[in-house]
Amino acid sequence: MRLLFWTTTSLLLLISFFTFVSTGSFATETAIPQDAARDFFTRHAGPEKTSNHTNNWAVLVCSSRYWFNYRHMANALGMYRTVKRLGIPDSNIILMLADDVACNARNKFPATVFSNQGRSLDLYGENIEVDYRGYEVTVENFIRVLTGRMDSSVPRSKRLLTDDRSNVFVYMTGHGGNEFLKFQDNEEISAFDIADAFEQMWQKKRYNEIFFMIDTCQANSMFSKIYSPNILATGSSEVGENSYSYENDNDVGVAVIDTFTHYVLQFMEGINKTSQLTMQDLFNTFSFDKIKSTPGVRSDLFGRPLDRTLITDFLGGVAQVELVDEDASAEEPSFSADNFSEPESPSDEILLAVEAELRSGNNISRGDRTPTTATNVDSSWYGLVKVLRAWGSAAVVGGLIGWIVTSR
Amino acid sequence: MDWREFRVAFPLLVSCRLLLALTPFVNSLGLDHNHQLSSPTNSYVRLQEGLFLFKHDIDPYAGGSFYHSPLYLSLFTTVLPTSRFVSRIVWTMLDVLGAWALVNIWRERQSVVRTSRDTLVAAAYLLNPYILLPNLALSTVSFENTLQLLVLLYACRRRPSPALLLAAILIHLSLYSALLLPSIALLLLSSPHSHLANPKFFTAYRHPNASLSTLLSYIGECVLYSVVLCLCCTVVAGGWGWVEKTWGVVLTLPDLTPNPGLWWYFFTEMFDHFRPFFLMVFSVHLLIYVAPVCLKFQHDPLFASFALLGVLGMFKPYLTLADPGLFLSMYSVFPEIFPYLSHPLPTTLLHLHASLLLPLFHSLWLNQGTGNANFFYASTLVLGMANGAALVDAIWAGLRIAIGGKESEDEGEIAVVQE
Repeated sequence: MRLLFWTTTSLLLLISFFTFVSTGSFATETAIPQDAARDFFTRHAGPEKTSNHTNNWAVLVCSSRYWFNYRHMANALGMYRTVKRLGIPDSNIILMLADDVACNARNKFPATVFSNQGRSLDLYGENIEVDYRGYEVTVENFIRVLTGRMDSSVPRSKRLLTDDRSNVFVYMTGHGGNEFLKFQDNEEISAFDIADAFEQMWQKKRYNEIFFMIDTCQANSMFSKIYSPNILATGSSEVGENSYSYENDNDVGVAVIDTFTHYVLQFMEGINKTSQLTMQDLFNTFSFDKIKSTPGVRSDLFGRPLDRTLITDFLGGVAQVELVDEDASAEEPSFSADNFSEPESPSDEILLAVEAELRSGNNISRGDRTPTTATNVDSSWYGLVKVLRAWGSAAVVGGLIGWIVTSR
Repeated sequence: MDWREFRVAFPLLVSCRLLLALTPFVNSLGLDHNHQLSSPTNSYVRLQEGLFLFKHDIDPYAGGSFYHSPLYLSLFTTVLPTSRFVSRIVWTMLDVLGAWALVNIWRERQSVVRTSRDTLVAAAYLLNPYILLPNLALSTVSFENTLQLLVLLYACRRRPSPALLLAAILIHLSLYSALLLPSIALLLLSSPHSHLANPKFFTAYRHPNASLSTLLSYIGECVLYSVVLCLCCTVVAGGWGWVEKTWGVVLTLPDLTPNPGLWWYFFTEMFDHFRPFFLMVFSVHLLIYVAPVCLKFQHDPLFASFALLGVLGMFKPYLTLADPGLFLSMYSVFPEIFPYLSHPLPTTLLHLHASLLLPLFHSLWLNQGTGNANFFYASTLVLGMANGAALVDAIWAGLRIAIGGKESEDEGEIAVVQE
C-alpha cells in the first residue's frame, strides 16, 4: 500500500514535470539543431578557410586507347595515384581507362605503367580500381556518370554518388581539338556536351564545386562553354596550340607522360594531406617555357578567391574535424585534418602554416561550445532546460533505486 | 588468514582487475573498436558519440549511430564523468559488483554465510576472459550483466521490489532480458535452493505466502516501474524517438555491423520482402524457450534463469562475448551438475576454437583482406555451437541429476546441499 502511494505520487510529479518541460522545450528544439549544424560548418571557416564541402570525389578519364597512347594512360594513372595518396578513397573515384597498355603484348614490362624516363615508379601496381575499362569508356557512359542518369542495374562502384556538398575533380586526357575530345577513336564529346552535363549536375545539386582539368591539344576550348556556377577549370593549351608529350622512355619505346600533367604531378608530389598550398600557387607555376604551350585557367564561374582555395579542397579527401578530449587541459582547436591519422612528413613551411593556424584558431574556439543563437537568453534557457531534464530523470531513477534498495 | 579465504582473495582480485584496467598498455590495444567485444547497441564509441550530440543540442536518436538507452544519457551527463580514466574505474567496479552478486547468489543457494568456494566463484566471474575483455573495451554490456546478477540476487533474497525495479531498468537497457521475467517471478515465489536432485511440482517448493495475487502484484509493480522509467527516458530524450532507436533496433536490426552473434550475417543477405518475416521468426524463436525451460525446471527457478541466460547468450541480436561469458561464469554456481555433464571437454574445446578463430578470421577478413565475411561467419557458427553445447550439457545435467547414481556424488565431493 505504501509502495503504491509513493510510486503514484512520484508518477504524478514526473508527469507534471514532463508536460511542463515538453511544452517548453519542443518549440525551441527544432530550431536549435540546425543552428548548431550551421555553426559547426562556419565556426572554423573564419578568414582563413573558405571551403564548405564535406566530401571529395574524382572522375578521371583517359579517352584514348592503343599502345601509342601510353602517355594518356600514364596521365590518368598518375592523377589517380596522386588523388588516392592525398586521401580520396577508391569508393569516391571513378576511373575510366581503356586499360590496354599494361598487359599489351608490346609492353616490355608487363603489368606496369610508368610515367618517367627511368621507370622509377610503377603506376599500375596491385591496388588500382578501374571502374570503366576498355570499350566501356564511351561518351554516353561519361555523361551518365556525371549526371547520374543510369539504369538501376549499374553497380554502386560505377556511380558518382555525389551530393550538394561534394567537391568533384574532373580530369580528362586524350586527343582533342577545338571544342571536342576524341573518345577511343570512334566518337567525340564536345565542349557543349560537357557544359550541359555540368549544368544538369548543378540543377540536381550533385556538386558543391567542380575543378575541371584537361590535358589535350587545344584544351582550353573544352571549358570555354561551361555556364554553371562554382566551376574552376584549367587546360593545357590554347586554341590553335598543341599539347606536347614530355619524355620518352627508350625501353618502353613510346612517350610516357604529357608535359602539362607531368608538371602538375610534380607540383603535387610536394604536397601532402595537410598542405595549405592554394590553387593560385599551382597556377603560378604554369609557364610557356616549361610546358611548351599556354595553359589556361577559367575562374569567372568560381565563387571563391583562388589564393584561398586549397589544392586539397579538390584533390584531397580532407574533412573538417573537431577534436574533443575531455582530459585535455586546453581545448584542441579544430583545423582541417583529414579522415586518416598523422601526415607523413610535413615540410617546414606547411608546419609553420599549421602552427600559425593553431595559434589563431585557439582564440576562436576556446571555451565556446554552446550554439550561437539569436538571443543569448534563449540559448542559456534552452541549455538550462536540457540540464534540468538530464538531472531530473537521473534524480528520479536514482532516488527510486536508492529508496527501494534500502527500504525494509 | 589463508590467502584463499574470500575476505583476502576478493580484494586481491579487485586490485588485480583495477591494475589491469588502468595500465596504459590496455589503452594501446584499441579494444574499443573490436567487433567481438562490443556491438552497436553497447559500444563505448557510440556512447561517446551520443553524449557529444546530446551536449551539443542535437537529438542523438535522429541519426543512426546511437542505440543506447536514454538512461545512459542521463547517467553520463549528470553523475558520471565521461573521461576514459574514470570510465575504466567505473566499469571495473561494475564487474566487482557483479562478482560480489554472483558470490552472494552462490551463498543464498546454500543458505550459508560463507563457503570455501567463494573465491573460486568470484574468480570465475572476474577473470573470465569473455567478461574481462569486453569490460576493458568499456562495452556497456557490463552494466547489463551486473544488473542481471543483481536482479537474480535480490530475487534469491526474496526482496521483490529491488529485483523488479532492477529488472525494469535492465529491460530498458536490453529488451530481450524480459525473457527472464517468468523465471525471476518463479524465483521470487519460491526459493533459490537447489532442488535439482528432487524435482517436484512448483507447489511443493513454493514459499508459504506465494499465491496468484502476489504474482499479479509483482507484475503490476514491474509494469509500474517500467512506465516510470519510460517517462524518465522520454524526459531525457525530449521525445518518443528513443523507443524506435533502442527497443526498435533489436527488433528490426537496421545496423548490420559484424558481431559474434548469429543474426547479422543472415540479414545481410536477406531479401527485403522476406525481412519482416524472418525478423519475426528470430524474435519469436527466443520466446519459444521461456515456457518449456520454466516448466521443466519449476522446482529450481534459479537453474531455469541460468538456462535462459544461456539461450540469451546464444541468440541475442547484437551479441558480444560477454553474454555467453555470463552464462559460463554462472556455471560455477551449480557445481552439483558437474559429475553429470556428458560432454564437458568438447564444450571447452569448442569454446577454445571459437575464441581463437573469431579474432583470427575477423582480422583476416577486415584487416588483411585475404579472407571474406564467410570466414568470420563460420567462426561465429563455431561460437554458436560452443554455446549450444554448453547450454545443452547444462540442461542435460540439470535433469540427469534427478536420476543420480554418479560415484562422486556419493563420495561427498560436492559441497551443495541438496534438499
